[in-house]
Amino acid sequence: MKTRKRLIVSFLLPAGLVYLAFFLVPTAWAFYYSFFDWSGFGLNMQYRGLGNYIELFRDPIFLLSLKNTLFILVVGGITVFALAFLLTVLVNSGIKGKKFFRAMVFLPNVIATIALTTLWAFIYNPSFGLLNSFFRVIGWDAGAKFTFTSYDHIFYAMLVALIWIEVGFFLVLLMAGMDKIPAEYYEAAKIEGANQWQMFTGITVPLLWDVISVGTVLYTIFALKVFEFPYAFSQITPPTTLYTVGMYLYIEGFGKRDPIYRLGYATAIGVVLLLCVVVIVLLLRRLMRREVIQY
Amino acid sequence: MKKANLIVYVVMVATILLSACGGGGSAGGGKVNLVYWSMWNKTEPSAIALTEIIGKFEAANPNITIEAVWNGRENQTKVRTALGANTVIDFVDQDASQIAGGLMKEGLLLSLEDMLNSNALDEAVPFKDVFNPGTLDLYVKDAVHYLMPYDDSPVMFWYNKDIFTAAGIAAPPATWDEFLVDLQKIKDAGFVPLAIENDGGDYNMFYFQYLVERIKGKGFLYSAIEDKTGEKWNDPVFTQALTMIKELWDKGFIPPESLGYTWPAAQQTLATGKAAMELCGGWLPNELSDMAGPDFKWGGFPFPAVAGGAGNVNDLQQWLLALGVLKDTAHPQEAMAFLKFVMTNESQTRMAQALQGAVRKGVEWPAAMADGAVASTNATTVLDHADGGTAMYAEFTKNVLFFDVLPVFLNQATIADFPAKISADAKNYWASH
Repeated sequence: MKTRKRLIVSFLLPAGLVYLAFFLVPTAWAFYYSFFDWSGFGLNMQYRGLGNYIELFRDPIFLLSLKNTLFILVVGGITVFALAFLLTVLVNSGIKGKKFFRAMVFLPNVIATIALTTLWAFIYNPSFGLLNSFFRVIGWDAGAKFTFTSYDHIFYAMLVALIWIEVGFFLVLLMAGMDKIPAEYYEAAKIEGANQWQMFTGITVPLLWDVISVGTVLYTIFALKVFEFPYAFSQITPPTTLYTVGMYLYIEGFGKRDPIYRLGYATAIGVVLLLCVVVIVLLLRRLMRREVIQY
Repeated sequence: MKKANLIVYVVMVATILLSACGGGGSAGGGKVNLVYWSMWNKTEPSAIALTEIIGKFEAANPNITIEAVWNGRENQTKVRTALGANTVIDFVDQDASQIAGGLMKEGLLLSLEDMLNSNALDEAVPFKDVFNPGTLDLYVKDAVHYLMPYDDSPVMFWYNKDIFTAAGIAAPPATWDEFLVDLQKIKDAGFVPLAIENDGGDYNMFYFQYLVERIKGKGFLYSAIEDKTGEKWNDPVFTQALTMIKELWDKGFIPPESLGYTWPAAQQTLATGKAAMELCGGWLPNELSDMAGPDFKWGGFPFPAVAGGAGNVNDLQQWLLALGVLKDTAHPQEAMAFLKFVMTNESQTRMAQALQGAVRKGVEWPAAMADGAVASTNATTVLDHADGGTAMYAEFTKNVLFFDVLPVFLNQATIADFPAKISADAKNYWASH
C-alpha cells in the first residue's frame, strides 16, 4: 500500500511542480501586483492598497467591458447551446452526410482567427459585403443600407460571428454524448406515443446532463476570457463598444500601440476576471448538480 | 549509475548558467555586437532598407556588428518584458510618441545631447542641424533629447489628383471655407469626398485635434487634458470643432456607409478611385501602393486654416519614428555612431526609396509623398499626436478623450451632451490618478 502511495506521489509530483511553478505561484504574485501602481518597466512599484480595485468599479470602460463580457456569457451562451442542440438533433435525424455536416459546422474552429475576422469583414462590408449586397438584390432598402459594423452595432456583429464559430465545438461535444444514448430508448418512447419534444426533454436532456454541465462550464470560461476574436475583429483601433474584459486587460497592461503601461491595474482586472470565473463556475456546478443516471 | 546522473546534472546546470551569461556585448576579438530591437517586420520595405544600412555601417566599421530583432509594431511592449528579464538591448525604434510615453518617460534612455551637439558624420555641420524643422525638438524631457527621429509621416489630407482635376479644383484648399467648397465640387462630380472608417480612432481624432489647434493654437488641447477639474472642456472650441465635423456628415461629404467601414475598407475606396482623400499620416501612399498602382497620382495638402483662428495652415502634425539608446547599454558610442549613420544623406535616401518620408533636410522624398516633403519643410509649428496627450497622458487620451469624442464624431452621441460628459469623465479620471 505504502509503495503504491509512493508510486502515485512520484507520478504526480512532476506535473504538480510544473502546475505550482507556472500557475499557482504566478497567480499568487498576480494578487500581490494588483495592489500596486506599476508600469512594468523595472521594479519601481507604488503601493495602492485597494486603489486599483476601487478605480476599476468607477472606470466606465471597465464596466462597459464587463457588461459586454456578461452579454457574451449569457445571451451568447444561450444562443450557442440552442443552436448546437438544434443542429445536433437535425444532424442526428438520419440525414445523409452526417459526418460532412458535422465537419462543416466545426470548420471555423480550425481556421486562424485573423482569417475568420477577414471573412466576416467581407460579409459585413457596407459597400460590397455579402449581407448588404443580398438585401440590395432582394430590394430591401433598409437592410441594404444597414451598417452592421458601425460603432453601436459592431459588438453584436462580432457576437454573431463568435456564435457561428462556437456552435461547431459544442455541436461536436453534444453529438458525442448523444451517440452514447441507446437508440432503444427513443424506439420505446415512440411506441409509447412520445413526440420529438417529449423525447428531447425526457430522454436527451437528462441523459446528456453531464455533457451539458461540462459544456456550460467550458463555455463560461471561454466567454469570460474571450479576447482574440473581438480584438482582431476590428483590426486597427477596436472601438470601446467592442471591448471585453480580456481586451481591456490587454490594452491597459500592454498598450497595443499606445504607451499605456499599467501592469498593476491590468493585473487587478485579471484578478477580478479570475474571481468571476471561479465564482460563476462554482455556482454553475452547484446549480447543475443532478443525480447521475446510469445507462 | 548514480555518478553518471550526477555528471549529467552538473553539465546541465553549468550549461544553463553559462547560457544565461551570454547574449549581446562583446563578440570577441575586440568586436562589439549591438542588439537592435525594431518595430518593423523583417519583410517590410523599411526593414529591408534598414538591413542594407546596417550592412553598410558594418562594412564601414569592421569592429561593430548589429544584431537586429524584427519585432513588429508592439516592439516597445516586448522590450519592456525583455528588459525585465535582463535581456541585453542597445537601441530600439518605435513611433516617437510611444517611446516618449514609455522608455523615455521611465528614464530608461540615454541622453543624446553630446551626439547632437557634435558634427554630423563626415560633415562640418552640427548633427542637430540636419533634421527637418521642429522634428528633433518634438519630444524633449527636461530640455534633454533622448530620441532621434529618422522617419517622417506628416499628417495631412492625401488625395487623388485625378479626382481633383475632374472636379475642377486647380489648387488644394488652404482655408476651411475653401475646403467645404472643394468637397462640394467633388461630391457634385460623383465622387466620395472623404474616406472615413468607424474604427479608425486615431485617424478620426486627427480632425478634432487639428480643428481645436487651428482655432485655439498649439497647446490648448493639451492644457484641457491636464486640467484636473475638467472645467476646461466646457470651452466652446470643442463643440465648435465637433459642429464643423458634423457639417461634413450632414452635407454628405462623408457617406453614411462610412459608419460601417472597418479598416482598411474606406482607404481602399481611395485606392480604387471612388473616394477623393483621407486625412492620414504619410504612410498612406505606401500602404495603398499595391492597390492604387504606379499610375495613381498622389497629392497632399495640410489641414486647412480656420478663419480668425490662432493656428496656421502650416502647423503640421508629424508622426515620427525614432531611435533611442538604452541607458544600460555597454556601448553607447557605437550605438550613437549607428544613429548618426542612419541620418546620412545616403541612408535617408535609401529609407525614402522604401516609401518613407525622410527626416533629414534636403533628401528627396518618394514621388507619392512629394507634397509631404513640402509640408514638412514649410512647417511653422510641429504638432504632436493629441497635442502631446498620447505621449504624456496616453491613458487619458485613449480612455477619456477618444472615448468621449469618437461617438460624437460618428454621430452616436450628441454635441450638446459632450461638454458635460467629458468634463465629468475627466474629473473622474483625475480623481483616481
